[in-house]
Amino acid sequence: MKYAGIVGIVAGCTLLAGSAFAVHAEVKSSAERLKTGIAESVKPAVAIANDAEAPYCTPKFKEVLARVIHACGLEGGAARRGCQPADVKTLASISDDDFNALFTPLKDRGGVVMYDDGSEKLDDDGKKMLEELWVERKGARYFFIVARASKTGTPDFNRSLSHKRANSAFFHVGDKFKEPDLDKQVGLLWLGNEFAQLGKEYCEWNVSRKGKPCAAEAINRSAFVSWVDCQL
Amino acid sequence: MSGAPRRWPSALALVASLIGLVFGGLSTLDYSRHLDRQVHDIHCSFIPGLAAGGAGENACRAAMYSPYSALFRDRYWGGIPISLFAVGAFAFFASYALYLLLAGPRAPRRAAQFFGAVSLTPLLVSALMFAISALKLGQYCKTCVGIYISSVLLAVSGIFLLLDARSKGAPAPAADKPEGAAEGAGAGRPVGSLWLVPGWLLALGIFTITPTLIYLSALPSYASYITGCGKLAKPTEPNNALLRHTPAGAKQPATLFVDPLCPTCKAFHKRLEADGIFERLDTTLVLFPLDNECNWMLDRPLHPGACLVSKAVLCGENRAVDVLEWAYDNQERLLEGAKSPAGLATVRSAIREKWSNLDACIDSKDTKLRLDRMLRHIVNNQLQVSTPQLFLGDTRLCDEDSDIGLAYSIRKLAPDLRLP
Repeated sequence: MKYAGIVGIVAGCTLLAGSAFAVHAEVKSSAERLKTGIAESVKPAVAIANDAEAPYCTPKFKEVLARVIHACGLEGGAARRGCQPADVKTLASISDDDFNALFTPLKDRGGVVMYDDGSEKLDDDGKKMLEELWVERKGARYFFIVARASKTGTPDFNRSLSHKRANSAFFHVGDKFKEPDLDKQVGLLWLGNEFAQLGKEYCEWNVSRKGKPCAAEAINRSAFVSWVDCQL
Repeated sequence: MSGAPRRWPSALALVASLIGLVFGGLSTLDYSRHLDRQVHDIHCSFIPGLAAGGAGENACRAAMYSPYSALFRDRYWGGIPISLFAVGAFAFFASYALYLLLAGPRAPRRAAQFFGAVSLTPLLVSALMFAISALKLGQYCKTCVGIYISSVLLAVSGIFLLLDARSKGAPAPAADKPEGAAEGAGAGRPVGSLWLVPGWLLALGIFTITPTLIYLSALPSYASYITGCGKLAKPTEPNNALLRHTPAGAKQPATLFVDPLCPTCKAFHKRLEADGIFERLDTTLVLFPLDNECNWMLDRPLHPGACLVSKAVLCGENRAVDVLEWAYDNQERLLEGAKSPAGLATVRSAIREKWSNLDACIDSKDTKLRLDRMLRHIVNNQLQVSTPQLFLGDTRLCDEDSDIGLAYSIRKLAPDLRLP
């Protein structure tokens, strides 16, 4: 019986020591792996949430956009809001046609809000279009309002008029949606009648006055508005 | 029936104890391996040592991640796995059974009686864990079942040893024994001193607790790891687009980013509920559907239909969490519906069936805008495109701490949050 007892005790101690050793070794091994960390190459790459990046965001488009954003008050806490024709000409450093061509991919994303002659007042269709486009933001970071005026009248008058048109669209969005950081989302450009006038073919775009007469003069009494799905 | 006690119960006890020791040991090693905060394969098979995949492993993983797999989980990262106690106890039972087997009829009755009595304790614990598996987890891990079976076998052998010890009749009084007769010799089996019982109990206690002490002595410190997974830079959303869930008495602010059709979110939510954490959080709920129908950060849907279901949750407003929990409960059906030829119409129909009053709201532009704003809030905080993500205050709970380290990490990140 003594022999059995001794064997039992030895077996018990062996099992206990073996179990304890195995547990200790595994915990220590985990502690070591915890300390050294998992290799970066083994870690799965996780994307970081970001603004949308549409195919039309070409380097040239983004370059112009970035210049406008920085120079026209959307970033950097600048006090001024918007860019006028002289600014845009300088900033964009491209011809009128090239400037307009940059916005061609936004044909389906944006719309042309049309105004009466010599007026900056939004009609109901214009307001509706603005509201509908605004809620279609998706992943876009910036909303652009590019206002124009027709050739009728002096450059100074048209510059001022297009500025008012840009503002009327901007204020309507602000009044309707009460966005607290609207200044940092909306880029205003007013081109008067001096830069990047639209051709009659733009009447085929998404215009606020559908089914109404549209000519080169009418299409320039407008503000082109669109979200821009580019990471800048 | 012969006068000598049978040996097979001792042999059975030895085999049962060794099986229990192996299954308990594997379970402990699996648990210990996860102390590095990574995910590893786990043993989950009736054949000890064989790793399993698929549904089998899911059951073992569910058991391991459950709050019932370890003690003091809020005090130590991962807690103390209960299998550690099994390892020590089965080691004791194995050595004791070996002793009984070798000693045979010379083993004192008291030894057999003691073994018979304490051999029932693993069965009691196994019965409790089996009930938890059945009622709380709804699945059975094979490693655990291995321990249950060994506990049953051990209890059966213990009962037979107990019966053997009794059936031999009461030992002859000392006065009736022939002068000088040694205990165990001749007709009577020795009884053994009563003082041996506390000694054996002490030994059982030492065996049971020793692996735990060794385990705790080797545990690393996790303090520096659990706070290193980022902060919520902009906790507020200027348009009040985010949802709030503030149960009575909840004081700890938390922000939870979830996708209603994400299985991990569902599991995480269930875990928070099972641990009694969710109802103690003043939660800001942000929907983060991983579905490119509304989420521009993806080029394909990870969880098709998630945008539609997220809108339903948004429209739930005061009952948003109810809608979310319904989505979790019906997740597989909703995902299958979204992938079917009818696609979103199936999902829409399922929502309408349960939440008919949300129909108009789901289609409204305001809801679309609100969901966009939630997603923009995620962009503004430059979060990872993954779900779920929980921030306690402004500190992110690391993914690595969201399973067995959850209770510990929550206690460290939110000391005021009193867990049950």
